[in-house]
Amino acid sequence: MIGRLTKPVFRGRRAASSALIVSGALLLIGSATSVARGAIARDAARARWAEIEAARAVAGAKLSTGGARWSEGRGTPVGRLTIPRLGLDEVVVEGVGDAELRAGPGHMIGSVLPGDSGTSVISAHRDRHFHALGGIAVGDTVVTESAHGTVVWKVTRMRVVNAEDSALEARTTPTLMLTTCWPIRYLGPAPERLIVEAVPKSSTTGDGRRATENGAAITGRH
Amino acid sequence: MHSLGRAALAAMMIVGAGTAKAQITTFVASPPRKTEPAQQAAAQQREKVAQDSVARVAMTGMKEWVDSASAALAIRPDTVPTAADTAVGTPRVATAPAPKSDSSANARASERQSEFRNGARAPNTATPIPMIALAGVLLIVMGMALRRRERSASVRVQR
Repeated sequence: MIGRLTKPVFRGRRAASSALIVSGALLLIGSATSVARGAIARDAARARWAEIEAARAVAGAKLSTGGARWSEGRGTPVGRLTIPRLGLDEVVVEGVGDAELRAGPGHMIGSVLPGDSGTSVISAHRDRHFHALGGIAVGDTVVTESAHGTVVWKVTRMRVVNAEDSALEARTTPTLMLTTCWPIRYLGPAPERLIVEAVPKSSTTGDGRRATENGAAITGRH
Repeated sequence: MHSLGRAALAAMMIVGAGTAKAQITTFVASPPRKTEPAQQAAAQQREKVAQDSVARVAMTGMKEWVDSASAALAIRPDTVPTAADTAVGTPRVATAPAPKSDSSANARASERQSEFRNGARAPNTATPIPMIALAGVLLIVMGMALRRRERSASVRVQR
């Protein structure tokens, strides 16, 4: 009698355990696939950026993309972002949609490219490309390369704002804004955003002229 | 035999053509002719636009001119659909956008959110991937725990 009653229970438990394991495996495979696709897209963006840099080296002047702007296709590499102290080195792609942010930090469409007059906004996932941004501090150096040349930025301000806040301001002077979700080391929803603001310390234009913080131009290649 | 087959084919064609015609006529029926009031309304609108364009020449204020131009554009006769434009024959308002589905509206909203303007929100950069992976690990652990418990219970029953 006991055996008859326990058999279906065992079968049910076995089926339930199998279902749990299979579901868990599917979820793991799904997330691993997403990460793998991101890695592939990142490699592709890096390869494309390397081609652009090579073309620039051959041309000896400006990027062959001819000043990639917001009108460029989404997902196109438009720059490179480096934060030496944090070991962050990423190729920036155009757009901040899901597909673009999978490949790397995204340049927000409508904002200027780093180095141009105005606000340049670059965003990335907190658990991927901007995970290191949790360790950034005021005074840190950020380097960007784009169609406007190489710009060395100095972090001047960091703030955490609500996700719904209208926190991105259009400015007339060159300003770099790096944004990601906050808190960075946290699993789950992100009700806040970290915004890191930086101003140029010095820059090198595509034609090799170098400008310092006070705007004086220095000739010679960077 | 052949003649029988031909007759059957001819019958099928006749019946099929009749059915097809019945279906198509609902779409290709000639649109209703323009009614008298519709023609009058279009003529009135054309006249009004002409009056506005004459009046705007006399205006000196830029603001007034812009307002006038926008009003004239809103009722341009070539943008007003006539009865022949639609099969059902119900005229639509020229400036009213076509109703969009919720998904396309959401897509446009997210598109706008991902474009920079003064006072824009910071993009959503949170991904559910870590949570999904964590849920997957938890499910596997639960499943394995259940299986282990079942094994130990079955051993007890066998004893």
